[in-house]
Amino acid sequence: MSVSAGYVAPQSETAGYRIPSLGYRILVAALRLIPTFFLLIALPVAALSFASARGIALPISTYAVTVWGIALMSLGAARYILKPTRAFGPVSIAASAVALVYLVYALSLSPYRLTVPGGSASIAAGYATFLELVMIVPAIGILVGILITIQDAGSRTERLLFDFPA
Amino acid sequence: MVVPTHRRPPPIYRLARALRWISTIVLVALIIFAGTVVYSAVQVARSSAQSRGLSASFAANGTVEVGGSFTLSNPGIYPIDGFKLTARVANSSGVNLGQIGVGPANIAAFSTGVFPIALYLPVATNGPTASLLTEDQYLRVNAWGNATYAYLFPLSIELSENRSWGAPFEGFAASVGTPSGGGGTITIPVTVTFSNHASFPDTGTLTFLIESATQVDCGGGSFSVAVPPGNLYDQTQDVTLSSGCSPSGGQILSTYSTGGTPISLPPEAIP
Repeated sequence: MSVSAGYVAPQSETAGYRIPSLGYRILVAALRLIPTFFLLIALPVAALSFASARGIALPISTYAVTVWGIALMSLGAARYILKPTRAFGPVSIAASAVALVYLVYALSLSPYRLTVPGGSASIAAGYATFLELVMIVPAIGILVGILITIQDAGSRTERLLFDFPA
Repeated sequence: MVVPTHRRPPPIYRLARALRWISTIVLVALIIFAGTVVYSAVQVARSSAQSRGLSASFAANGTVEVGGSFTLSNPGIYPIDGFKLTARVANSSGVNLGQIGVGPANIAAFSTGVFPIALYLPVATNGPTASLLTEDQYLRVNAWGNATYAYLFPLSIELSENRSWGAPFEGFAASVGTPSGGGGTITIPVTVTFSNHASFPDTGTLTFLIESATQVDCGGGSFSVAVPPGNLYDQTQDVTLSSGCSPSGGQILSTYSTGGTPISLPPEAIP
């Protein structure tokens, strides 16, 4: 049975691999969105709102965090759903590239200068080096996506034996 | 045909999987690092830097010395490297009076850095800071510092505030009264008044000299001074004038000596 056209029937079992149904993958992807939502949107927005309510200037707007978070969540979900397909590699590259651009955007905002409300003190905190280290993660993600794309181009089912063993 | 899944994955797949593992490990390590940095930074912020034992006094070199120590606790698990702090003090006219510097120093994790500080404020009457001796005012303190926390996070801080300054000879005035006497000996009462608004006592000798309009020395005297902070000083002393010397149109020159270099007080004109 081929998986190149998209998705196979629920719990399809082929030669040595067993691909979960599209519905199951969508369900799991949706469940994975919950912790991702908290990590990428809820927690940062809560922290920013907390600071904003106390008159502290924000390093990044809640709108930007929400938009970038939704983009990353969407690509992460799409990546999971498309894992059995040839689109997995390119989507992995796209997801990592968006994460990398997000980090570059955050890097451009460093250092963050905080003026203590009602006071005459200001504190500037630089986090550029840390973000540069974090960039290693999406950079590796892009590399992995490229490798998967190359792998799938050569033998589109070979990866499935190990990603979805029967 | 059933393909056995226990066979060795293709090299590209193995490489991708290894990279994914590395990526995950790096991400988890960075998240743990960031979490511990935030926690440690909060601990440092809560411990709050302090200036301890700050006291002011007249120094032997004719200045007012503000001394004490600056303490920065680092209860966190990461070091504070390259800590450096500079503070500059200016008077109400914006004239720079002096500055102090701390560091550069490294403060290891779970330790406290204690830095002695000494600021010498010139109080000579012939400089731009003359009013510091006789006028209460606000001093502008600007401080800025740099440090690197947890190896990766450079921090800088700027602080600006006004601190009230109580003059040790606030409202200083020296005046002469009506001359009296005859037969070649003329005396004149000299009155000195001021309030000690400083945080330290005025202890020493206040010497004065009556100078004529032609800058001839007509006579002088001295007061023993022991004025605690917040107290008023008001003393009068009769001075015998030199023969033929008229203080009219002249001035009273006063100096305060506390064991070191005498400090000149503003001259007071005699009508």
